[in-house]
This record gives sequence, C-alpha cells and structure tokens, in this order.
Amino acid sequence: MSTATRAPAATRWIRLAGVLALLGALLFSFTFVGKLTLRDVPPVEAVAFERTILEPGKVELHLRNDGRDEVRIAQILINDAYWTFEIGDPVLGRLESTVLSAEYPWDDGNPLAITLITSTGVTIVHEIEAASATPETDARTIWTYAALGIYIGLIPVLIGLFAFPFLKRMPGRWLGFFLGLTIGLLVFLLVDTFAEGSELAGEAPSALDGLGLFAIGAVLVVLALTWFEGWQKRRSSEAGSEPLRLAYLIATGIGLHNLGEGLAVGAALAAGEVGLGAGLIVGFALHNTTEGLAIVSPLGGKERPSLVHFLGLGAVAGLPTVVGAWAGGFAFSASWASLAFGVAFGAIAQVIWTISRSMKGEAALSRGLPAVGLAVGLIVMYTTGLIV
Amino acid sequence: MGGLDRRSFLGRLGLAGALGGAAVIGGKDLVVAQSPSPGEHHGGSASLHETAHGGHGVVGKVDHARNGFHPLEILSDFDGGVVSTDQSGRTVREYEFVAVNKDIEVAPGIFFPAWTYNGRVPGPTIRATEGDRIVIKLVNATDHRHTMHFHGFHSAEMDGIPGAGEVGPGETFTYDFIAEPFGTHLYHCHSLPLASHIHRGLYGAFIVDPKEGRPPANEMVMVMNAFDTNFDGENEIYAANTVAFAYQTDPIPIKLGELQRLHVINITEFDPVNSIHLHATFFDLYRTGTRLKSDEFTDTISMGQAERHMIEFKYDKPGQYMFHAHQTEFTELGWMGFFEVS
Repeated sequence: MSTATRAPAATRWIRLAGVLALLGALLFSFTFVGKLTLRDVPPVEAVAFERTILEPGKVELHLRNDGRDEVRIAQILINDAYWTFEIGDPVLGRLESTVLSAEYPWDDGNPLAITLITSTGVTIVHEIEAASATPETDARTIWTYAALGIYIGLIPVLIGLFAFPFLKRMPGRWLGFFLGLTIGLLVFLLVDTFAEGSELAGEAPSALDGLGLFAIGAVLVVLALTWFEGWQKRRSSEAGSEPLRLAYLIATGIGLHNLGEGLAVGAALAAGEVGLGAGLIVGFALHNTTEGLAIVSPLGGKERPSLVHFLGLGAVAGLPTVVGAWAGGFAFSASWASLAFGVAFGAIAQVIWTISRSMKGEAALSRGLPAVGLAVGLIVMYTTGLIV
Repeated sequence: MGGLDRRSFLGRLGLAGALGGAAVIGGKDLVVAQSPSPGEHHGGSASLHETAHGGHGVVGKVDHARNGFHPLEILSDFDGGVVSTDQSGRTVREYEFVAVNKDIEVAPGIFFPAWTYNGRVPGPTIRATEGDRIVIKLVNATDHRHTMHFHGFHSAEMDGIPGAGEVGPGETFTYDFIAEPFGTHLYHCHSLPLASHIHRGLYGAFIVDPKEGRPPANEMVMVMNAFDTNFDGENEIYAANTVAFAYQTDPIPIKLGELQRLHVINITEFDPVNSIHLHATFFDLYRTGTRLKSDEFTDTISMGQAERHMIEFKYDKPGQYMFHAHQTEFTELGWMGFFEVS
C-alpha cells in the first residue's frame, strides 16, 4: 500500500520539477538568448512628477523614473527659461526617485511650466495650471487634517451613538428609509471615488500602474472586511456573544473603513480637489452618523453602556479617519492616492453590500420607503456637489 | 554606491510622506549644483552676470575638450586652408572637409546628435581674400547625402545642391570657385530635407576680405544657431557658436578702446528671425559686409535665416557687458553672453 502510493507521489514531484525546468528554460531563452526584437529600440525616457511642492520663491519636484531606461536629468526650463537647480542624483535608474529644487520667483495663481531636459535632449513637461503654495507640514496643517478626521469620523459616529435610542424606537420602514438614504449617499460616493481614483491612476507613473494599485486596494480591503465580518460572526456565536465585545469588533471594522475615508479626503484635499474633498466630508459625515447605529445595535435597547464605552467605541470607529487624513494629506502622490482611493472604493462597496443585506422585511429595498430613501440619498449628494 | 542606494531607499520612503521627502532634502545627500545660486556671490565682477538674472541659467559646465572645440577659440580660428599660388599668380586655398556624425554637448549635460563638418559646429571658418581660388574636397563619412553650398559667386555645377555637387555616403566631391564678392558669408549643406540638414549642424562661416583690406581690429565670428533637441520642430537651445550660455560661463576678453569687428551670421532653423543686441555701446553695421562704408549706427539688428552682417564697435569703460538676442525667449534659452572689457 505504502509503496504503491509513494511511487506516483515521486512521479508527480518529478513531473512538477520538469514543468518548472521547462518554464525556466523558456523564460531564459526568451529573455537572454533569442530576443524577439525586430530592431533596436531607442531608449524610452520617462519621468513622472510625483509631487510638486511650491514654497514662496521655491519649487520642489519629486521625480521618479517611469520608463524602461536610465534617465539623466541635464537641465530644467521654468516657463521657457533655463534655470539653476539642485538635485539629489541626476541619474535615475528604473523606478528610482529623486528630489529637484529650484529657487524661482513663481507667480501666485499663474501657470507654471517646468520642463526637464535629459542628456539626450528629450523634454518632459510638467504644467501647473495655477501655482499656489503647498500646505506645509507644520503643526497647524497637522491639526487641520486631524480636525478634519474628527469632523468626519469621530463626531458623526458619536452623534450616531447618542441618537441610538431614538433610531431604535423607529418603525422598521422608516429605519429602511434611513438605511436606503445611507446607501444612496454611498453609491454616489462610490461612483465619485472611482472617477477620481481612475483619474489619479492616470497621473501615476505608468510603471507603477495606478489602476492596478486602485484595484489591489479595493479588492484587498473588501477581502479584509469580509473576512473580519465572518470572523466576528464566528467569534460571537462560539463565545456566547458578549454584546459589548461585539460592538467593539464592529467598531474596529468600521474604523478600518473610516481609515480609507480619511485617506480619500486627505488625498483629495492635498491633490487640490477641493470640491470632491468637501463632498466627501459632507457625505462621510452624514453616513458616519449611521455607523454609530450599526455599532450600538448589538447592545440592544435594554441597558445603556457607560459613557466611557461610548467614547471608546467612537474612538475605535472614528479616530482612524484622522490617521487616514494625515496619510492621505501628507503622503500625497498619485500612486499612493490611487491605492487610497482603491481602499476607499472597496470599503464603501463592502459597506453598501453589508447594509443592503441587513435590510429585510419592512426595511427591504423592494419596499417603497427604503427605495425613496436611496433616491433621496443620491439627489442629496448630487445637490451638495452643486452647492459645495 | 552605498550612498546612492540609501538615497533611492530614502527617496522611495520619502514619496510615502512629505516628512520623508523633507528628510531627503534635509540630508547631506544633496549634490549642490556647480553653478552658484543667486545671492551667494558678493563683490568681484566675475559674478556680476550670475546675480543679474537670479537663478537664470544652466547648471554645470560643458566639457569642451570632449566636444573637440571651445566657443572662445571658435570666435577667431580663421582657416586660410593650404595656401599655394598658381601660374597666373592667384592665391589658391585648399581644404579638406569631412562630413561626420557626432554627439555634441550643446548645454551642460545635453547631447545633440549633430551632423558636422570636421566634427565641429559651426564648421571651420573659411577665410580668403576677394579673388582667391577656393578648392574644397568634401568627404562624406556619414550615411546620408550631403553638400556644401556657398553663398557667393560660383558656377551652377559648383552650387552644392542635389544634382550639382551632392556627395553620397563614402563619396567625395571637390568644389572649386573664386572667392567673391567680399563680405561676411556662409556655407551650409543643401541636401534634402533641407531643414533637417541645416539644423543638425552642417553650416559655417565664409569670410571674404576686400583686396584693399580693412582697418586693423580684433575680429570675431558668431554663428547664431539653435538646436531642437527633442525633434519636435521647436528649438530647446539657442546660442552663438553652438554652446548655450558659453560666453556667460566664459566671458569674451576684449581690450579697452580696441576696435572690435564681429561677423554675425544667422543660421537658426525653425524661427523666422534672430537678432543681436550689444549692451552699453552702439555699432557700425556693414550689411552682409559687402561695403566698406557703414550702413547704420545702432545697437540691435534683426536677421532672417542666412542673413549676416559685419558690425564694428568699441568699449571705452572696463567691465562686463552683456550681449544677447533681443528675442528674450532666445536669451533665456541660451543665446546670451558677456564681453569682459579690460
């Protein structure tokens, strides 16, 4: 018996090794031996402008080699004039990055065109439609982003938590209306996040594949949240469900989702997308209020948890928004922003899915009031977009 | 290379956050540009031009030795050829020109794939006296067809155009004509497509002196040219004698009170007009250099392609005096420099 099974197992291993060897030989011969090139291709020099920092009298560029070949940055033109500059290492290997800075009296609100000239005379242009000073990484800006996170994360969640007795007593179909409204808001945000994320993905270095990062962010966060949800359910069923612990678990899940929201808002504001940033703030603030409800729902209406726990739940769910806003705001580059928007997209999609599954009976979307709520949510978002 | 690795690692982290980015900037890895930034120089006339335009200019220096020519030398390296006298007593000047491809550093670190006569842009400055016989053997060491087309009197078969004196790869042709009329002239390749052949660098000065001579002066040649480094039909580099800002980096030394005679030739491709403006003086303008009397007294002259003039001027106060195209865009793209008068 044992000899009978061992022989096929050994054969399988040998076969697998053979397949791998053949695959390796194929790759080797393709890459090194019989290059299938019809002619010598001239070097493709590409440099991405990942981050542009404007200070009064100074321009700073974060550059990354975006092409296949090495790039040597020889000179720069600012608004069609050669300009002196400082650079870390003017030779950029594939995907290498460097920082270039120039003293230049740029004009507030006017266009600024920065042209890199490589050693082969190739020009790579970066145009800023309206120059304005980049927010500095000082205490004030850090606090501004933190405040932003508190506005859209912590406060709405706390409001939701405290509104819980009122919502708990609400008839099912009106609860459905509010859940539908939440979905409407989120669907609008989902589309907007996709549109902005794919636009940012286009600006990211092509070698880093912004759209790929967006997709990875979205899919991974959906997987993470789905796994978290399942784990949470398994835990609650086997441990006889301590209500408060469950509430914390939900708050953790929502906190992860809010981290994505913070990233989205921070990145949108850092990218100068003030309209989207404001829209996201309003949208997230509104819908985060409903998150409070989701968190306290397992606690039941009977006993009110202590104030410390209310604040604790709010912090777990809401404070990651602050962290997200910092990361999004200060780490802004098109690539990271693509990933951040992907994370936000996935988180929003997952929450829509979770909420819609929870809408049953009178609160189901097939009922009139929840559907109206969804429509109202969409219209509210569209209208706030017009106003903001 | 450890520093490089560390820098790229930091750089990547730096892109993850402005704080990281600030670390790169704050760190000691930054290579400070060789060209001084504005305001770093105090006193000393050598830095006058560096402070005059703020951070305007290029970073680093051109390796003239690698180029094989220096813009300061090209100003006055007149080439009289191999001189002999024929039976009739006429001076004969013989030259051998070789058309070769060469990468030329037209601004610090920027290499232009030039087509050249004798490995330099502009090509050698041919200098003769009115009535001399010019014999030029052109060898084509490139893989394109080329010619030498002279502005001056010559027969149809010596015109240096497709069908008359065009030289295929590996072939040779000998141009033979009498140098006239006297003046400031030029030669250039006339193979097709013409714009490519000219803008790639196949041109040079052709100076013919009048028989009676001219008053003694310090003679210089400036060929106003430009380079479309990315081949999009617009120039990225403008210069006099090829290298952008060359005479800003190395001002042209001239003597106080000495008569300066400058032959200015415009061969700029893609732009309809170029010009020269001298600071703090005026010049006598001899249009095309074909008359002995001044046509005009001015400080700025505009020229279309192949237009060229002889200008004469003096400086009677020491110091650095700027000259540049008065298309200010060209100035800021490299066509400017200084006379150092002492």
